[in-house]
Parts: sequence; C-alpha cells; structure tokens
Amino acid sequence: MPDLHIFKAQVGMADPVALQDQNVAIHYVHNIHYRRVDFLEAIPEFQCADLGAVPAVNQSGRTNLANLEMADNEFGIWRWYPLDDLQYQLFHPSGISKYQLRNLQVPVDPAILINDPNLVSTEIGIWEDNRPAMIAVNGHAFIVLAARIRAIGYRFHTIDPEPISPQEKQVVAMIRSERAQDAKVSKMSDGDVLLLALKDNRLPLTHIWCSGRAIGD
Amino acid sequence: MISIREKTGVRLAAPVINLAAAGVANAVNIFTLPILAGVLVGTKSAIIKKVSMYNNVAGTTQVLIGTGVAGTFVALLPALDSFNGLNDNYGDDELPEAEAYADITAYPVALGAGTSIDIVIEILIRG
Repeated sequence: MPDLHIFKAQVGMADPVALQDQNVAIHYVHNIHYRRVDFLEAIPEFQCADLGAVPAVNQSGRTNLANLEMADNEFGIWRWYPLDDLQYQLFHPSGISKYQLRNLQVPVDPAILINDPNLVSTEIGIWEDNRPAMIAVNGHAFIVLAARIRAIGYRFHTIDPEPISPQEKQVVAMIRSERAQDAKVSKMSDGDVLLLALKDNRLPLTHIWCSGRAIGD
Repeated sequence: MISIREKTGVRLAAPVINLAAAGVANAVNIFTLPILAGVLVGTKSAIIKKVSMYNNVAGTTQVLIGTGVAGTFVALLPALDSFNGLNDNYGDDELPEAEAYADITAYPVALGAGTSIDIVIEILIRG
C-alpha cells in the first residue's frame, strides 16, 4: 500500500492522496463512493472566496464556497488559510460543522500560518458539487473590509473501478472461485466483483472524507 | 520576525507620483489597487510598508496618506513630516501595518507656489 493518505504532515505542500489507477473510497456524510483515479493535477494556491466586509463584533452570513466545487466524478483535496484577521468557522456541507468538538466548533484564524505552516489541520476533501460553507466572525471593535480565503490542493478525476492490475484480476478470480455457488456473484461483472474486494479490504484503498459528521451521528 | 501578513503578500513599489496641489480636495492616487473582473476573487488590499518623499516645497510641510478624496478621504496614517529640500524616508519599523482596501491617495497640507513633493510608496499586496 503506498503511503498516500489525507492529513499527511510533512514539510511543504501536501502530497496527492491517490495516484493514477489507484482506488479510493469517497465518504460523503453516510454515502461511500468507490472510484478509481484516472487523472490528477495540482492546483496552485488561489483566492477562493471573499465573504465580504464584516461589521465590528459581528459575523458574516454563512456563505457557500462555490469556487471549491468540483466537476462531476471529481473530488478535490484542499488546504486553506484565511487572509484577514477574523475567525472562520467551516461547515461541510453547509449544515454540518467541521472541526467540531463536543463543546466547541474550532475556528481558524490567520495564526494558522505560523502554528501549522503546512496547513495539515485544515485539510478537507470535496466530492463533486458538495462544497463547504463558511462564516467569518469579527471580534474587533472595527469593521474588517474583507474576509478572504486562499486554498491550495489537488484535483482528481475518477471513473468506475475495473480490474486492470494483475493483483486486482487475481483477487477478482479468487472471489469468483470462493463464491462459485453464489448465483448473485457469478452474474456480477468484474467491476462489481472488484467492488466487493474493495469493500472487503482485500485491495489497497485510500479513504477520502469529503464531509464533516454531526456529533453523535 | 516576519509578520503573518508579510508571508501572504507580494511587495512592490508604486510609481513616483508628483503631489503638486495642496489640500484634501486635491488628493491624488498614489497607488491603484489591481482590478480584473472575472479573474480576481474578492478584493485585493495593500499595506504601506515604506514611504519615500522628496520635498521641493521651499518649506516644511506634512503629507497625508489614506483613501478617497475630499469628503471621502480617510487617513491610513497620521500626517508625515516632509522637510524642506530633503528626502523623507519612513520604513517598515516606523510604520504601522495599515491596510487599504481601496486606491491609496495622498496630499500635502501646504505647498509654495510652483513647488511639489515627489512620493513613492512600497506596498505589500494581498489577495
């Protein structure tokens, strides 16, 4: 299994969480999508959002980060930091708090650049158009005229998994052999049997969490 | 120690601008924020890091730097002295990290007839 996983801490930019022809399990709330990466590219740092001016001792509206949305069949891995001195609360999707502890939703402020220079702790995954949302909280006694967010990461295009490597073909053949009496399995396509193998942890698989999860959920 | 803001911007110098008319009503742009709709997301901002002036006023005066003109002028810094016939340089150590979210303007408080002040600011562009 390659050493590819989210939240990998290292000096510098994040590594990609999967390479070409590797399989991933994309978790979105309670759904899991088993996919194969067939293309990836790095996305340089860019300004993805500006929540606008935030009045003194007040907060912005909850704003969708539409610029972090991905196209169909694609997921993104992002690390991000705020530019302006506000506290930012992330929701992913809009109704679920990210960085949620039992008693506190942990906000992010620009000090993250000093305390976590590689932004490991900010890493999020986004599946298709299931983008996060954000609130900026201004604790200052004066208006802050912009609430800007910058992000850096990777874009991954995915397809339905089909057995292509010798190892995958071998495992698919093994499952067919083990469950030769199972009519359901014998009618399955090789791709569907490969899904069984992935769900049974018989093959390398990288889990990608593309949403938060509500407490107690 | 490099400030957090220093890590998140690009430094550049604005062009040399000649302040040839005194008073807030005559404040002129000394730096225009980049605007390119459809490419830039949100606003860019500018932090003044250095101010360099040459006084050709035949008298000591002050220069105000801020945003806006006339009734909309809002100072970013207190009045900076500009001494008769001298260069006036204000650097990182002296200046607070005042951040402008609009074009930066400046004006001298007083000018002698036919005199002016040249000004250049170095800024940290963010966003």
